Amino acid sequence: MRRPRLETALWSAAGAVGLIAVWEALVRVLDVRPMVLLAPSRILSTFVDDPGPYLQDSWVTARHLLAGLAISLVISLVVGAFLAAVRELEHLAQPLLVLIMVTPWVAYITSVVLVVGGGQPAVVFLVAFVTIPAFVYATAEGMRGADPAARELFASIDASRWEVLWRLRLPSALPSIFTATRFNVGLGLGAAYFAEGAALRLDGLGDTGRRAAAFSDGEALWTTILCAALLGIAAQVAIAALERWLLRWHQSQR
Amino acid sequence: MSASVTSLVDGIRVNGASKRFGELDVIPPTDLVVAPGDVVTMIGPSGCGKTTLLRMIAGLEAPTAGAIVIDGVSPGEARRHKRIGFVPQAPALLPWRTVEDNARLLLDLNRSANRGSGNDPLPLLERVGLGEFRGAYPHELSGGMQQRVGLVRAFALGADYLLMDEPFAALDEITRADMRHLLAELSEPTGAGVVFVTHSLAEAVFLSDRIVVMSPRPGRIVGTVGVPLPRPRVPELEDTSEFFALETQIRAMLLAGAGR
Repeated sequence: MRRPRLETALWSAAGAVGLIAVWEALVRVLDVRPMVLLAPSRILSTFVDDPGPYLQDSWVTARHLLAGLAISLVISLVVGAFLAAVRELEHLAQPLLVLIMVTPWVAYITSVVLVVGGGQPAVVFLVAFVTIPAFVYATAEGMRGADPAARELFASIDASRWEVLWRLRLPSALPSIFTATRFNVGLGLGAAYFAEGAALRLDGLGDTGRRAAAFSDGEALWTTILCAALLGIAAQVAIAALERWLLRWHQSQR
Repeated sequence: MSASVTSLVDGIRVNGASKRFGELDVIPPTDLVVAPGDVVTMIGPSGCGKTTLLRMIAGLEAPTAGAIVIDGVSPGEARRHKRIGFVPQAPALLPWRTVEDNARLLLDLNRSANRGSGNDPLPLLERVGLGEFRGAYPHELSGGMQQRVGLVRAFALGADYLLMDEPFAALDEITRADMRHLLAELSEPTGAGVVFVTHSLAEAVFLSDRIVVMSPRPGRIVGTVGVPLPRPRVPELEDTSEFFALETQIRAMLLAGAGR
């Protein structure tokens, strides 16, 4: 049975309030050091005291995330379409995709900076680079999973390859692409935060967070962490809304 | 198309076409003619190759040897000119398209080959009782309703030939009966040639001008039976003794073809 939306929202809100309450209580009762974990009330007061820099940093990180994901998605749609069409290509690409997925970014960020340059290019590159495998797999699998009977139907009137791709394979891949997007937002946000701190950039949540950590400034560090988390939640909400609209025909939305 | 004169190239002509899948002999060299406007049913046990034969006629599968010609051109050419309306076994509706957009699908693809004679799907949807559902999505429809959209989609093409691959196989018995009555009602006025694959005796007798009976694999044609029932075919025909006699005759041929 499907619960009414309001009830679902109430339960989620109760969960959030509970989490914050436990967090606050733990920090106070155990007297945790600010660098380890900062109480929500102090994060809030740090942010409210001077919200400008945090908002600006959040905006910078949001742009990095968006640009990286957009570039990655475009590349992955093209690559995924080819992989879906030619099995051999997929086997050929497999080692590279797995390598991208399993190699820690920390290890190769220096090379990235040396190759594409420090600052924004390095950050956007890393976000795009690490999110490509999930997008490519989702695109290739979704496209290949297009209904065989529908493919015959398209063939029966000699629909062009472009029509098959655009009107059958791409819509068939949308549900899995959305799933990959939800996964990639978390991954990309982590990559952006890390790369901003590591790529000699002088703004962005990651850079402010790295410097705060270097100066043992727990307040600033945890405020950037919370801003990053809120950014991730906002992105997930936006994706869910887009999904509900674009996939209104799909069983996951019923 | 002039219906009065049937030349040597008119209609679907299967000339000694055969099909092997590796070592597997699916269809031995086969001859079959479907004249323009003829309704021919291929009936046979599951796996006898009747679907393969239909797919070869549709140009979705190439014969291993022999040839198939449709109104003087190859099946591939016929496909390119949208002269074939294909109805697959599953309705194969696109879930992201509404009922109306699904009914229009074949008109939306390969548009340059559309013919003036293409039908507007809306009146057809009305006729099959789906007018109110034109804005609905496929998941909101029952199986029978989905297959009705599949029929409208093929008829909207206004093609000269309709090739149907057990389109009602997945439906319950009552819905199946409704569907064959509806199909006769839709196809009789169009004058389109129909090749219909089924393993239902009632569907074969009710719909056809001729019934082609096939043996188990390799699917040989064991006989052809003309159906002299009057047109238009009405549901009441199914209770007549002629109808029963034809069903009995076909059943006997199927059993004999299976070597029993």
